[in-house]
Parts: sequence; C-alpha cells; structure tokens
Amino acid sequence: MPEFGLDDKERIGNKIAKKEPDERHEMKRQKTDRQKTRSIRLKAVWHMGLALVGLAVFIFITISVSRLLEARSQAGPGQEIKLKSEQKKEWTGNQLSPLHRIPLNDEFNQKIVPAAPNALPFSARYSCEPCHSYATISQGTHFNYKNRPAVDRRTEPWFLVDDKTGVQLPVSFQKYPGFWSPEKLGWSDWKFVTLFARNLNGGGPGEPAEEDQTPDSRWNVSGKLEINCLGCHHRSPLQDHSEWVKQVMRENFRWAATAASGLGEVVGMASRLPSTWSIADGPNPDDHEWAVVPQVRYNPNLFDSKNNAVLALPRPEDDRCLACHSVTPRQARSRAEVDRDVHLLAGLKCVDCHRNDLSHEMVRGYEGEKLSHSTLQVQDFSCAGCHLGQKPEKGGQGFAGRLGAPRPAHRGIPRIHFERLACTVCHSGLMPKKEPQPVYTSRANRLGIFGKAVWTSDYPWIVEPVFVREKDKKVYPERMMWPAFWAEIRNGEPVPVDSQEILAAAPEIFNLKEKVASLLNSLIPLAEEGFYPGVIISDYLFEPNVDGGLKTRLLEKSPVAGKDKRNEFLLVQVKQEEVKHLVPDFNPDEPPAGVEDKILSVLQNLRTLSNGCQPVFLIGRYVYRITEGYLDKAEKAGEPAPAPEICWLEGEEFKPFLSDFQVRNLETIGSGPEILTEEQVALALKKMAEAKPERKYAYVASGFVFSLDKSGRLRAGEHRVARAITWPLAHNVRPAQQALGKNGCTDCHSPNSKFFFGKIEASSPLKTAHRDSRLGADLMKTGPLFQFLFGLTFLGRPYFKLFLAACILVMGIILAAVVIKLAGRLSGLENGPGKNSGEE
Amino acid sequence: MLFTVVSILLLIALNMRLTFGRFLMKLPEPERKISPDNFKKYIRWIADWKFSFLKLKTWDRALDYLINWARKNYPGWTAWVFFALVLSYIYLALSGLIFAWFVPRGLFGFPLLLHVAAGALFAISLTIILFLKARDYLPEKVSLRAAAQKNHQKGGFWCPLLKKSLPRIYLEALAFWVFVVAGFLLATSTLGSMLPYFNYPAQIFFFHVHRWSALASVLSTCLAIDTMIVE
Repeated sequence: MPEFGLDDKERIGNKIAKKEPDERHEMKRQKTDRQKTRSIRLKAVWHMGLALVGLAVFIFITISVSRLLEARSQAGPGQEIKLKSEQKKEWTGNQLSPLHRIPLNDEFNQKIVPAAPNALPFSARYSCEPCHSYATISQGTHFNYKNRPAVDRRTEPWFLVDDKTGVQLPVSFQKYPGFWSPEKLGWSDWKFVTLFARNLNGGGPGEPAEEDQTPDSRWNVSGKLEINCLGCHHRSPLQDHSEWVKQVMRENFRWAATAASGLGEVVGMASRLPSTWSIADGPNPDDHEWAVVPQVRYNPNLFDSKNNAVLALPRPEDDRCLACHSVTPRQARSRAEVDRDVHLLAGLKCVDCHRNDLSHEMVRGYEGEKLSHSTLQVQDFSCAGCHLGQKPEKGGQGFAGRLGAPRPAHRGIPRIHFERLACTVCHSGLMPKKEPQPVYTSRANRLGIFGKAVWTSDYPWIVEPVFVREKDKKVYPERMMWPAFWAEIRNGEPVPVDSQEILAAAPEIFNLKEKVASLLNSLIPLAEEGFYPGVIISDYLFEPNVDGGLKTRLLEKSPVAGKDKRNEFLLVQVKQEEVKHLVPDFNPDEPPAGVEDKILSVLQNLRTLSNGCQPVFLIGRYVYRITEGYLDKAEKAGEPAPAPEICWLEGEEFKPFLSDFQVRNLETIGSGPEILTEEQVALALKKMAEAKPERKYAYVASGFVFSLDKSGRLRAGEHRVARAITWPLAHNVRPAQQALGKNGCTDCHSPNSKFFFGKIEASSPLKTAHRDSRLGADLMKTGPLFQFLFGLTFLGRPYFKLFLAACILVMGIILAAVVIKLAGRLSGLENGPGKNSGEE
Repeated sequence: MLFTVVSILLLIALNMRLTFGRFLMKLPEPERKISPDNFKKYIRWIADWKFSFLKLKTWDRALDYLINWARKNYPGWTAWVFFALVLSYIYLALSGLIFAWFVPRGLFGFPLLLHVAAGALFAISLTIILFLKARDYLPEKVSLRAAAQKNHQKGGFWCPLLKKSLPRIYLEALAFWVFVVAGFLLATSTLGSMLPYFNYPAQIFFFHVHRWSALASVLSTCLAIDTMIVE
C-alpha cells in the first residue's frame, strides 16, 4: 500500500556522510564554538534578568518602608494610624418611616405660620434640609438631568410637540444619536422647565445658578422649581399630580409643591405678572381678576398647635411613579383592558426594585448598570439578580429568590437565547404583532393629568415593541418614534428651527382644521335642537370638537365618495349617530318663519371669518347677503343654483364654502392620526423660501427630509437626523405564561413570524407615501433570508425530532446489547469462544 | 477556552503518537525505542511530508484509496451509506471545531443550518453502519481476530512502553466503539436540547456533552483512519 512520504535517500542528513574527514573535524569544532558562545550569552541574559528583578524588589521595599515611616512620624506619639476613613452612617437601622411633625420653612428659611396672611409657600430646601442633605439628594436620577453619566442607558427623551405644525422633536440631555440637547437647540433652562415642568420633579435645570439665568427667564417672578420631595414621598389622598401640572403651567414654580401636596390652596398666575415683579413686592391690591399674584391659603387642619406640619412620608407609592412612568396601548378603550405589571400584581411596589439610598440615584435594574453615587449593589436588582442570583465571586449573594422571585426553569430554550436576548425581549412590553403598536406614555402624551380638558395628546406617535440589537450585541425590546420638525439646512445639516417661525409665515396653511371648525361652528343657527354642524368629505365626517379642531369619523356609505366627486363636500348636521342635511331647502318666494333669521345669523357669523369675501346664501334664483346690516334677498345673475348652498362672493364670482385646498387636504388626512399633507408642507416651504430666500428650509418626518427642488416640487431625501430613535423598555412585565415562546419555538422562528418579519413603518404627523420601512430582522441585524430559512426548518422540526429519536433508539438498543454481552463475558456468565465453563 | 486548548493539544498529541508509531514500525526492532535521536528523525520524517499535502495529486490518491477501501469493506449500497457518513462527518467536524476554536460566538448562521442538516444525515448513516458492523467488533470476534493477528507480526501496533507489537484489532474496536458512543451522545444531546423538558442547567450540560463527544469522535476518527484505513 502506498504511504504518504518522501524517499529516505532524499533526506538532508546524508549530506554530512559525503564530506572529507578534515572538513568534518572543522565543522565539529565550529559547532562546539557556537554552542559555547550560545551558553555564555544565555548565562549573561539570565544574570541580567536576576539583577533587574532584584533592583525592582529593592525599590519597592524602599518606597514602602519610607511611606510607613512617614505615616508614623505624622501620627505623633499615642496616635492611631488610620489607613481607611470611616463612613458617616446616614441610617440608624429603623425599618419604620416616622410621622413627620416638622416646621415648614419658606425660601427665606423663615418658619411658616399657616394662619398668617400672605404666607409664602414652603421650601423643600429649607424644610427638609435639616435632616436630609439637599445637596446629596440633588445628585439623584430625577433631578440631575444635565449631568447624567455617559454610561447611562438611553431613557425616554422629552418631546417638544406642536400639533399645528406637525412637530415631535426628541429632546434629551443624554448624548445619543437622534436626541437633541437643549443646548444644541439654543434653549435656556427656563425654556426647558416651562415646556416640561409637568413631569419634572424639580431641581436640576429648575434651580439654575444666578450666573446661568438668561434674559428670557422669569425666575424672579415664578421662583425656582425646587426638588418636590412631597411629590414622591407624601402619602396623603390630597397629593395631586394634576394640581402640580396646573401650577407649573401657570409658572407658579415656588407655589407648585405646596398646592400639589394639599397643604394649601394656591390661587393666581405668575405667568400673568410683569417680568419686573418679585416676591418682595407682595400681592397687587388693585388687580383681583387678571394678574393676580399667587397666594397660599394653608389648610390649618394639617398643622398642629405649634404650626408644625403633620406629614406621613413613607416609601413612595406606585401611583406617584405611574404619574410619570406609565405606558398605555392606544387600542385600549378602558383601563379595564390593561393588565398591570406582574411584579405589582405579585405585591411588589415600584420602589422594591427601583431603590435608592440618600443619593437618590435610582436603580434602573438593567444588566450592566453602574451607579455613580449610590452604595447599592446594583446587579442584585436586575432581572437575573433577583430571579437567578449572582454568584458570590461576582459580588452577589449566591442564591435566587430575592423578594420571592421565582426561579425560572426556561425548559427547552437553547442557551443562545440567554446570550443574545435580554430578559425583557420575551417578558416585557406588548406582545409583538404584525406591526408595532402605538402607545401613550405619561411624559410624552401627558397621561395622568386630569381636569375638564383632555390632556392626553395624539403626538408624539410612539410604537412598541421593536427589537433592536444594541452595542453589547444583545437584542432589547424598545420603543420607537420618528422625529418630525421644521429645519433649516446649515452646511448640509438640518437643524431644528422654532415652529412658531414657520407658523407665523403661513398661518392659513397650518390652521386648516381650526379654520374649518370655525366655519362649521358659524353654521350652528341652521342646526336643529341637539344637532351640530358637520361636513362630509369623501368617506369622512368632520365635526368641530371642544378644542377648536375637528374630529373625524369614517362613514360606511358616503354621498360624496367616488372619483367623480372629488373636491365635493356636503354640509350636514349631526346628533350622535344621526346625520341630516344642514342647509335648509325651502321655497324662497314663501320662506317659512324663522328661516331667514337663521340665515342672517349664519351670514353674520361668517362675516368675521370672511377674509375679504362676502358670505352669501344661494337658493334657486335668489341670493341672500347682508347689506348695511340687514338681510338682503336679490335675484341671482346667471343660472339658478341647483341646490341651496352657502358660499363666498368674491367680486362677481361665487366660491364654494370650503375651498378646494381645504377639501383636498381634509380628504387626504381623513381619519388618520396625521395632521399635515405634502401639499401643506410644500406650500409652507415655498412661503419660507419667499420670506427668507437666503435660507433653505426643510421638513423632517417619516424618516425623510422633505425639501423643495429647483422646480419647486417637494422631494424626499435621506439623512441621519430623520432616522427613528429608540429607547429600551422594561415594563409592563407579562406573566411567564404570556412570555414570547410560550406557544413554542414558532412564536419567533417561523417563515412569517411577527418577531422577525413584523413590518415597522414610520409614522409621523405627515401623510405621505414616503415612509421609512424596515423589517424586525433589520433592526436585530440578522439576515431576513437566514431567519426565513431557519424558520422553515421549524416546520419539519417535529419530524426531525422523531427521526433523531428513532436513530437514538436503535443505536441505544445495539449499544445496550453490546454492553450486556461484554458484562456477561467479564462476569463469566457468558462463555467465550471455544471455552466450556466446566473446563479448568 | 479550556475546550479549545484541550482539544487542540489532544489532537496534536494523538496524531503525533500515531505517526510516531508508524515511524517506529519502519525501523528495525532493536531501534524501536523512545529516544531523542529517534524523535529528531521522526520530526525530519514528518517534515518530509509537508509539501505532499499541498499537491492535488496526493489528495486524488487519498480519495481513490478511500473509495476503494470503502467498496471493499462496504459492498453494494452500503458504500453509499459509508460515503454519506464520511461527508456529513467531515462537514460536522470542520464546522463544529472551527467555530468552537476561532469564533467566540460559536456556530451560527448558515453554517449552523447546514450543521443540523448534516447531523441528520450523520445520525441515520451511523445507525445503519452500526447495524451492519457491530457484530464485527463484538468481544468474541475481536478476540478471534486478535489471536489471528498475533500470529502475524506485520501490521501490528507498536507499543514503545511494552516494547512489543499489539494486535491492531484492539485499537480498531476501540476506535469503532468510541466513535459510535460519541455519535450516540452527539445525537442524544442534540435531541435533548430540542425537547421542552430540560431546564437551563441541563441545556448547558447538553452543550458540553455535545462538545466533548465531538472531540472524542474526532479523536476516534483519527485512530480509525490510522488503524483501519491506512495500512
């Protein structure tokens, strides 16, 4: 058989055998010399190494001894050398929270007497400081926005929203792509606080230093927004987040905590006071209606006989947290449809996991979290920390079950899932559907604020869940939104501009719905008892709402739908589900009693909205108009009107009640959440170009940058500022029985799974066909083709398992038979070949 | 890391031992001993081979040899089963070891898909081969063949410690059964990780069983190539 090698005759060693004897001797001598030289060199290197090591040891010993001697000399006789400093203990070990009977001090550190006239609001800084270091607390997560550590995980940004101009701009002090910092936007602390104080706890930008106060601020009038300790810690049914919001919206910053706690009632609005006013000026006795100086009337029942406030201040309750940190799916029609987090249902409170020490640096509970100021072992409060336990060598306690956390078995889940996916992928947020679902969040959409008005806003439009692979190569469930804002192009970069600038340049373009609502409201006199005017455009019914805008309903069957009815509309009157024609049809030669009075009222209402045209009512061959304050009925020139209608007379031309622009754009917007059309955007950009030709403007939305090309047409381009932003979500956590994968691997691994192939399409205030679109697999940075093929294999996986089991069974039987045979031989129970058990 | 280091060391050690054994068999019996001189000669002997593996001709000859050997030992349709086993095993071993050694993330993506597909083929072909060949490596058969091989010194396995040639059949049997048991464990650990009955520590256990069984099967394959295929 051939071997794989070379012939021996070709080996190199045979070369020596061919040399002469003298040459061989010389070669041997040279070899010996070389060996000697090598050994001398090795010895030299060895000695040098030893010398270096000895020198290093000598230096180390010398320095250590000298340090010790120096410490001894400084200590002096009889003085103990302290190598570690002792930490001052903040906590005495009490598990109870004491009832606080404490004097409240105002911002001048003067004790508040509740019954005194013109009492000032209490100051948390001077009331709480004697026992709890205000400076330490102000480093906390909820107050120290501007100096968040760079390693802090992304959190939900703030959103600047303008419903009129279609703005939803993410603002954050965290430096992440897509997040705009207030500094970059040119915002002062004052502007930031006035915009977002409804969900601020005070401190941070609410307490700027004197030198940081900008000319646009009114801190001297409103007072500083101190840390609102009672906002979280006050256990009283009188503690009211909505009152806080109301007060800060009125710029009553120094009064807000007092009003929200229920310790006193606050009347007046600092926002109406002149900028020159200060607290020392006191109330204005001449104005009791408009610019009323905010005043506090304390509730004496909440104070004892020594004027000390009696406050229950235990650990914060959940509703304090939920006021700013709750999320609701938009499709839920009532609170009963929303399940709470499984941890809350199990009896835990928010603060059981999201703990803090005096530093108020909150544990957020994600893997890899690091705290800057806190002394807590943060890894103990992550999902794995409680449910799986951390090993002692990693600083943990070595066992799971903290706070009663069940230890998951995770049966049948390959380990790759725990390396590549965060716990929250399977356990948190809404169950993935074909598309991510829109949600409201407290801070973005103003949940948790109650009053006569509805505070909850449609924008910003946030969806969840999307699954994103982060830099640590793990996939996390996140919330996503696409920024929308008006921008100026500077050096090729879109930079947000104040939307008021855009609105001022083209108000008629953006006030479309308000304008139409006003027009419809003017028609109320024509409506019957209990009915309100509306207009049908295409398949939609538009009615005015209480906020001065329009609400929309989709009609099953519309009299003006269809291609031949474009730009047509029908004025109607609506009462709940009943819809009737609005414009009365009567014989103008014999008008019924009262009709002409109604027409007069309507035309008078419309005159205030006319914009240079005259409102008229056409019926048959007559036209009604207002002439010198009276209703005038005249013969109409030209053809009689085919149907009674209200319209505008501009010169000699009759124009429809609603312009083509209004009808077209309302039809385009329809009943969707969008508020702008491409036509509106194009017109606005044209107006801006005419007003400021030296600048170039654009509108960013839906993942694109919309600008005008040279021919004046709207075009969509790509830019990184238009890309969607995301931030990780962690709640609500679903029970284990509702985890992703509970129905098997095919929850995610199938050719059409929602996990990988859910379509994520950009949503924004703009109604446009240009929408950024991607698959879930794209965000997870895994190939859709691979996931599709991998998902296909799961269709045959049950049969594969059966097949493998059959092979294992056969192999197992044969192996078992062999083992039994071998055991038999070894034990002598089975005779070997040619042997008889009876033979010796 | 441990697996990488141990597997590489074991593979190198085993192959060095097998090739060193072959080298010693080429020497006259008095010279067959473990010595620095012999070791140096062995290194030179190995070095002489190094270029042969770069030649396509070498691989062609090897492939022809293997096919002939397979047809001789697996007549008829069973040769196809053997080829399926070999091809699937080559891919499984290469994909498994390369990803285990050099890719921290482990086997993933399309190679993983093919690994699973090849695993199915490996399982069925191993089962058939076991069914056909198990009786040839039963203890009594092995004893008979060992006795026959003792009478013929040529073809034995030289053991430097015992300073004698051992019957090759023992090593053939060892290679065969280790390969089969390792294959059984590979299949079992694969099936176990796919079933919804085992918790996370069990998944880790199955993973390690799979890895170390794979190593055992590769080592037994090297032994099998040396004892069964290459004379």
